[in-house]
Amino acid sequence: MRYQPVIGLEIHCELLTNSKVFCTCQNEFGGSENTRVCPRCSGMPGTLPLLNQGAVRLAAKAGFATNCTVNGYSSFDRKNYFYPDLPKAYQITQFEHPICTDGHIDVAGGKRIRINRIHIEEDAGKLVHDDYEGVSLADYNRCGVPLIEIVTEPDFRSAEEVQDFVTQIAQRLKYAGVCDARMEQGSLRVDVNISIMPFGSEEFGTRAEIKNLNSVKSIGRAIEYEIQRQSEILDGGGKVVQETRRYNENRDDTKPLRSKEEAHDYRYFPEPDIPPVLLSEEDIEAIRKEMPELPHERSKRYTEEYGLPADDASLLTAQKEFSDFYDEAAASEPEYRMISNLMLGEVSHLLNETGSDITEVKFSPAELAKTAKLAADGTVSKGAAKEIVSIMFKDGGDPRRIAQEHGFIMDTDASGLDEVIDKVLAENADAAEKYKNGNAKLFGFIMGQAIKACGKSANPALIKEALNKKLQ
Amino acid sequence: MDLCELRKKLDGGDIGAVELTKEYLDRIKRFDGEINSYITVCEAEAIAQAEAAQQVIDKGGSKPMTGIPLSVKDNICTNGVRTTCASRMLEDHIPIYDASAVSRLKNENFVMLGKTNMDEFAMGGSSQTSYFGGPKNPYNTGYVTGGSSGGAAASVAAGLCAAALGSDTGGSVRQPSAFCGVTGLKPTYGTVSRWGLIAFASSLDQIGVCALSAADAGYVLNSICGRDCNDATTSPIPSGGYTSAVGSDISGIRIGVPKEFLDGSTDEVKAAVLEAAEYYRSLGCTVKECSLPSLEYAVSAYYLISSAEAASNLSRFDGIKYGHRSGLGEDYNELIKSSRSEGFGREVKRRIMLGNYALCSGYYDAYYNNARRIRTQIRKEYADIFSECDVILTPTAPSPAYRIGVQENDPVKMYQADICTVTVNIAGLPAISTTCGYSAEGMPIGMSLIGRAFDEKTIIAVCDRFERDHERRECVL
Repeated sequence: MRYQPVIGLEIHCELLTNSKVFCTCQNEFGGSENTRVCPRCSGMPGTLPLLNQGAVRLAAKAGFATNCTVNGYSSFDRKNYFYPDLPKAYQITQFEHPICTDGHIDVAGGKRIRINRIHIEEDAGKLVHDDYEGVSLADYNRCGVPLIEIVTEPDFRSAEEVQDFVTQIAQRLKYAGVCDARMEQGSLRVDVNISIMPFGSEEFGTRAEIKNLNSVKSIGRAIEYEIQRQSEILDGGGKVVQETRRYNENRDDTKPLRSKEEAHDYRYFPEPDIPPVLLSEEDIEAIRKEMPELPHERSKRYTEEYGLPADDASLLTAQKEFSDFYDEAAASEPEYRMISNLMLGEVSHLLNETGSDITEVKFSPAELAKTAKLAADGTVSKGAAKEIVSIMFKDGGDPRRIAQEHGFIMDTDASGLDEVIDKVLAENADAAEKYKNGNAKLFGFIMGQAIKACGKSANPALIKEALNKKLQ
Repeated sequence: MDLCELRKKLDGGDIGAVELTKEYLDRIKRFDGEINSYITVCEAEAIAQAEAAQQVIDKGGSKPMTGIPLSVKDNICTNGVRTTCASRMLEDHIPIYDASAVSRLKNENFVMLGKTNMDEFAMGGSSQTSYFGGPKNPYNTGYVTGGSSGGAAASVAAGLCAAALGSDTGGSVRQPSAFCGVTGLKPTYGTVSRWGLIAFASSLDQIGVCALSAADAGYVLNSICGRDCNDATTSPIPSGGYTSAVGSDISGIRIGVPKEFLDGSTDEVKAAVLEAAEYYRSLGCTVKECSLPSLEYAVSAYYLISSAEAASNLSRFDGIKYGHRSGLGEDYNELIKSSRSEGFGREVKRRIMLGNYALCSGYYDAYYNNARRIRTQIRKEYADIFSECDVILTPTAPSPAYRIGVQENDPVKMYQADICTVTVNIAGLPAISTTCGYSAEGMPIGMSLIGRAFDEKTIIAVCDRFERDHERRECVL
């Protein structure tokens, strides 16, 4: 039997603050164990947390990026449980009054996914198991790293919707400078709550929570696996157990971590050491004003104002820096389409090939725009424009000068062209004959031969005109 | 001699800081074997601090606390000096930083004589739950000191320091001060930084002062109060000047006496408090009966809130990163279990159980949330009283100090004895306790004056006036 999956997400995102959420230790990734630890974040007796206001601002921005209400009143609570990576034996989080509530994002297909809440909390440390020595060691560097948790309603009905949502969240948070969203490094972590029910049913099944998903691809595979696993259980007359499961990328399966019976009672209560966070309407407005244009807004602008196809617009805006580069280029020369083609074509190709990033290229947005302009006004051919990009990518340089040095400037007078064309037609007499007899497809072939014969400065428009005349 | 006078004598060269410290250290040696008010005496450090203080005095740069020898309760962190909370759990705990209150005193070159005895993790009203053995009342060593700051109050009463820092979560400065015949000041929540105070119940804890007089208590408070960037719950309201109204005319002050507080008190206590009320009336104060109807729920609310917070605050003592580590336990859960079983005493365990129970998902509404509602209600009732009164007069405890061993093992009786003090913490208000009489057995009886939030100045002045007209009996050691 085929079932309808019902999916909700909990997404943890590390905030891009300079320091940790309740102390002044640096907020960084990597480094030697226990080098970014102080009495506060290690929970030394007598110490008290001190709220990083930067974390509050970034959490509010995450709210704006996801159409949430940013609340003027929010407060912290303690979530109590024993684990050696949690030195205070409680996590400070927002339970009763989260900073953001009631948001949404529309996924591909136009479906609206509701966001229940976004709250601020602190990360725990890490345990390192040394099998050789037979001991477990605690690294507290990550203790107190600021997180937000984005909690959605169970509105997803397919893996694709989830993948699109996560991709959008990652893009939007990066744009807003909230989170670098590196799933492979764990700075954005997605937990998937999934159950299945017969199609047409309105009663949700028992859900499993899947952890350890470190790419959008893994999310898709884990969901497919879970749908399959749960379907087999139900088909066999069994019952799905409410439990937490861990996705294993290498085996491509999920295995139980802990069941509901072992689930903690976290004994939440208001954190007495941190006064409530009060944001006035002016405060909230000031944070809203700092919001950059988000990818979906940019994409809309590219299609509506620049006339780009929707697919191109969404590709251009996938990465903020890439899109910033495009914006700057488009601002210097209004060759929107041509610049977009160069960026999505040659530039993307070269970046992929060299594994580099748009922020590292040797040419400026203005230089790329100039190249586009040369192609658009017929100074060089489109093919030559690509080659100019390739040369600038390698060594930098002014596009017009490169065009001149490499002889890319197209011929503008037809003198001498007749001679070359005659030669090409003579060499390809057979093709020319067939074309004249009605095989229209062969025009492209002859055209190609003519361009080749003319060399780098070939002017396709002139060649086409001359060929047409001669082949009539 | 009060601290103002002592300051003058130190600055004038009549008394040397080092001799003064040595005299206190000498008295500790002679008397504290019996009283047991100190867990740790810092002899060498105290003399070094006194020498440094003398140099500052000699250069004419003294500050209010320069060279003045104090004791510090053993739940207040002191850099390099072990801070045990009177628990086996922290028997060997040596903090690497000073509590803000201590560092402020150090900035004024005070002298720290040592760390005082207390109930384990400040949980108790007798100080008898101390892992190091309970202190004894200097008025009669067969009697309890009260608690939890029993060591602090006893050290002041016995002349083993000039004044003491204690902490007050539900009466822990005021009640032992009453039992030991000294003055105990619990400031408004948010007046003194809790940075470095090992937390019992964070929303109720406040560092306070035990001293020989209200003026002395205010004098010390002036040096430890104020906004601290390390404690977000400290108030931005300007602090200090707590002794500025001492000696001023208090006639016209309106004093409320809530009837519910007297109902449960012994006849001796009731009589002494009412006599104090009469005294104030004779000075031209208005004394009127008032009411705090929710008092009957206060003890329950207090024990639910404080135990819930305590259960969470004490969770970090698992033997992994902090606290006594047991030699027993094959895995993490077993190790925590045995470390905590060995490290905590009975009363602490009882509160942890109570607190976790109150926070459990099935009971949260019935217990913790109801306690929060009562908290809101008590605050409202205090606000109502303060719309018509300036100061509230109550007994500090329903009875004077009792004999060691009489009721410490009956938790319900012990908890009920906190009825006169807990509402002040629940409402975050300031209160001061002083001696208003002596029982037939010769034990001091305490009364408390409760003030509006951040109005320590008034209760200190009203208390000071009483103390000037009533002789304090010295205890004979």
